[in-house]
Amino acid sequence: MRSLRYQDKETPVHKLNPFSKLAWIGSVLILALILDNPLFLLALFLLVLPIIKVAGIWKEWLSTMKFSLFMCLAIILINALVSSRGSHILFEAPFRIPVMGIPVITLEAILYGVAMSLRLLVIISVFAVLTFTIHPDDMMLAMIKMKLPYKSVLVISLSTRFIPTLVDDTQRITDIQRSRGLELDGGGLAHRIKSRSSIVIALLSNSLDRAVQVAEAMESRAFGIGRGRTFYKDIKFTITDITTVVFALLPGVLGIVMGIYGYGQYQYYPTFERISLNGPEWYLLALMTSLLFAILPLAYIKRRVNLD
Amino acid sequence: MIRIENLTFYYNGVTQPVLKEINLEVNSGEFVLVTGPSGGGKSSLCRCLNGLIPHFYGGKIAGRVEVGGLDTFKHSTKELATRVGMVFQDPENQLVCLDVEREIAFGLENLAFPRELIAKRLEESLDTLGISSLRYRQVHELSGGEKQKVAIASVLALHPSILILDEPTSELDPKGAEELLSLVMRLNDELGLTIILIEHRLDRVLQYADRLIVLNRGAITADGKVRDIMSSCYQELLQMGVGVPPMIRLVQRLRDKGISIEGTPLTVKEGRAMLDKAFHGASGRLTHSSGSIDGKPLVETKRLWYAYPIGLTALKNVSLSIDEGEFVAIMGRNASGKTTLVKHFNRLLIPTKGRVSVDGVDTRGATIAKLARKVGFVFQNPNDHLFANTVDDEITFTLKNLGFSSSEMESRTNEVLAKFNLIKYRNHYPRSLSGGEKQRVALASVLAGQPKILILDEPTRGMEYRLKSELMSFLDEYRQQGNTVILVSHDVEIVAEYASRVILLSEGKVVVDGEKHEVLSRALLFSPQINRLTQAFERYGVPNNILTVDEALDVLP
Repeated sequence: MRSLRYQDKETPVHKLNPFSKLAWIGSVLILALILDNPLFLLALFLLVLPIIKVAGIWKEWLSTMKFSLFMCLAIILINALVSSRGSHILFEAPFRIPVMGIPVITLEAILYGVAMSLRLLVIISVFAVLTFTIHPDDMMLAMIKMKLPYKSVLVISLSTRFIPTLVDDTQRITDIQRSRGLELDGGGLAHRIKSRSSIVIALLSNSLDRAVQVAEAMESRAFGIGRGRTFYKDIKFTITDITTVVFALLPGVLGIVMGIYGYGQYQYYPTFERISLNGPEWYLLALMTSLLFAILPLAYIKRRVNLD
Repeated sequence: MIRIENLTFYYNGVTQPVLKEINLEVNSGEFVLVTGPSGGGKSSLCRCLNGLIPHFYGGKIAGRVEVGGLDTFKHSTKELATRVGMVFQDPENQLVCLDVEREIAFGLENLAFPRELIAKRLEESLDTLGISSLRYRQVHELSGGEKQKVAIASVLALHPSILILDEPTSELDPKGAEELLSLVMRLNDELGLTIILIEHRLDRVLQYADRLIVLNRGAITADGKVRDIMSSCYQELLQMGVGVPPMIRLVQRLRDKGISIEGTPLTVKEGRAMLDKAFHGASGRLTHSSGSIDGKPLVETKRLWYAYPIGLTALKNVSLSIDEGEFVAIMGRNASGKTTLVKHFNRLLIPTKGRVSVDGVDTRGATIAKLARKVGFVFQNPNDHLFANTVDDEITFTLKNLGFSSSEMESRTNEVLAKFNLIKYRNHYPRSLSGGEKQRVALASVLAGQPKILILDEPTRGMEYRLKSELMSFLDEYRQQGNTVILVSHDVEIVAEYASRVILLSEGKVVVDGEKHEVLSRALLFSPQINRLTQAFERYGVPNNILTVDEALDVLP
C-alpha cells in the first residue's frame, strides 16, 4: 500500500510541467470517451505504455492493473450475461427467466464488454500517470492556478499527507485488537464486518482527536488570518512548457472533431461490424498517435533545456 | 513580555476551573520550565498564551493575559502567531504538508509574505535547527525527533519572540529527546528566545532552566529558581508525584539521615563534587539477589530471524529463553528490533527463519487468538486500545474473544475493575477518562483474561512520574504472583528500579543479556543517573554497579 504513492523520481516525465501532463491526460480521457472503435482504444492503451515506461512507474502501474483486470473480468461477464442484444448467439439457456426471457450469450455482448474494458484500462492507466508522476503539492498548486478555492484544495492535500499515518494507525490498532483475542479470519460476511468494528471505531476516534490537534497547530501558524495567501512554490512556464501544453491539448481537440464528424465510431449491436478503419480514419489514427507520442520527445527536450 | 493577572478559566460544561487565579510575569529571554501532575493545568496555561484559549477552546474566562503588549482575549491565535510559537506534543499532528520545505513555508504563506522573504526565512530556519539535509524529504519518512525539529523550524520561521513547547519529547526516544532539549537550550542562549517548556522528565532539563514553575490543580504552587524549589519544596513535589531526579532524591534522603550536603546538584558533575565527602569511606557491599529465578522457560526463541516484506532484516539469529516469574526489560536504540522481537511472542509476527515457542507450543501451530489466553500485550498509547462505549464493555470484549462463559465474564470483570480502582467508572466512556485512568482501563482489558505473560511496549513513554510508579508497582505485584513481565522500554531509571534482567538489542542482534546490575552499570548511554554518579566513587571502594537511590543508601554506613 505504501509503494502505491507518488515518489520523487528524476525521469523526464516527472520533470514535465504538471500542466503539460494534465493537458495530455485530459486529451487521452477525451479520446477514450469519444472513440468507440476497438482499434482506436487499443492504440490509446498502447500509447500510454511508453510514458509509463519512461516515468519508471512500471511496477506501480502493474499493481493497479492487477486490480483493474478483475474489474474488467466482471464487466465482460456481467455484460455477457445480462445483455441479450446481438445476433450471433453462442449459447442459449434451456430455461426461461420471468420478465427477462431466455438468457442468451451473444458474441456482440462479449465484444462490447471487451471494448469497454479496454476503455477502462486506458482511463485507469492515465490516472496512474497522474498519481505517480505529479507531486501532490504540484497538483494542489495546479488546482489553485485553475481557480479552485484554496480551502477545498487544502483538504485534498491534507488527506494525502495523512494517508501514511492512517495506514500505520490501522496496522497498530489491528495488532492490538488481535492481541486481545479478536478473530479476524473466518466466519461469514456479517462476522467479518462486526469483528472489524472495534478497529474502525478506535481508528475513527483517533482520527478525530488528530483532526482537532491538527487544527490547533494550523491556527497557531496563522492559518486563515485572511489577508490573502502567497505560495512559496510556483509552477514556472518556459517556452518549452507552453509548446508542450499546446501539443498535449491538440489530440483532445482532434478527438472532439472526430466525434463531431463521426470518425472512429463503431457499431457493436445488433450485429458487429468488421473491425477495420476507413481511409480517412487511417490518417486520423496516425495523426492521433504522433500527437500523443510527441509528449515524450518534448519531455526530453525540456530536460535538455533545463540542464543547459 | 508575558503578563498574566488573575487568570481563571473553565472549559465548557465543566464545573471545576482548570486554571484558578493565576498571576505570572515572564521576562524576555527567560527559560521557564513548567511541571506538575497531569491535569494540573500546564497545557491549558500554555494555550492561554497564544490565544487558543479562549478563541479555539471556548469556556468561561476571567482575568487578563498580555503577551508582547497584546491582549490575548482580543487578539486571535492567528494574529499572535508572529509573537508566540507553539510546539505540540505529538509531532505527527502538527505537520500538515508533504515535504519539509513546504511545511516550513506554510505559516509564512498564510501571512502572505512575498516569495523572496519566504525563501530567506526558510533558509534561516533550516540552518538554525541544523536540518538543511532534510529540506526535500517527505514528512512521513522522518523520525519522530526529526519531525519535532521540523515543527520547531516551521514555527521559528514566523520569528516569534516566545517559544512554547508542550511536552515536546514525550513521543521521542532518549537520544532524540536529548538532542531536542539541547537545541531548545541553544535557541534560548544564542537567539535570546523566551522559552516556556512543559516537561515531566526533569533530569534532562533542570540544568538549562532559569526558573521552575509547578502547577497543581490549576494553581501555581511553586515559582522560582530551580535549585531553591528542588530543596525547599522537595516534600510537596514528591507528594504531587513530580519526577524529582534520582540524584536529588538521594541528596534529600541523605539529609534526612543527618548527613549535611552543601547545595542541590542539577548535573551529574555537580553531584560528584557535592557528594564526594558523603561517599568517602563508604565501602558497603551491594546485596542483591542474583537475578536468576528457577522457573520453567515460558518463551523461547531459537535462531530467530525476521525480515519485513520490504526487505529489511529486523532480527538476526536471536536465541533466548524467558522463564516463569521473570521481569525482563528489552532495551535498545530505535529500530533495533525490540518491538519486532516481542511481536513474535504472541504470533503477531511469524519467524522468517528459526522458531519461537510459548509455553512449549510452537507459535506457527497456534493462532493469535489462542495465544491471547496466555500472552497479554499492552501497547504504548491507551487510545489505540479503547473503542467501546463503556469501561465494562471494553473489558468484556476481551473476555468474549477469549471465550469465557457469561458468569465467568461477570466475575472476572468485577475482579479486574476492583483491582484497578475502576468500579466507579464502569459505565463511563473510556476515551473521556484522564490519561492515567485510560492506561488502567487498557491494562485491565488485557489482564482480565489473566495471561501468564504480559508484554508491554513502551508503556511509560510520555507518562508522568506518579502514574509511572503506580503502573510499575502494579507490574511488580503481578510478577510476584508468578507471572512473567516483558517490558520494552527506553526508560533506564524505571528498568533499573523494577526489572530483574535486561536484554540489550542492537541492529537486530542480542548484544548483552543478563542481570540488570551487570548490563546497566558502566554503560555509557544506558546507565541510570545514580550509576553515573557513583562510578566516580569507585576509587573509595564503592561498588560500581549501584543503580538506584536505595542501593546507594545501602552501601553508605
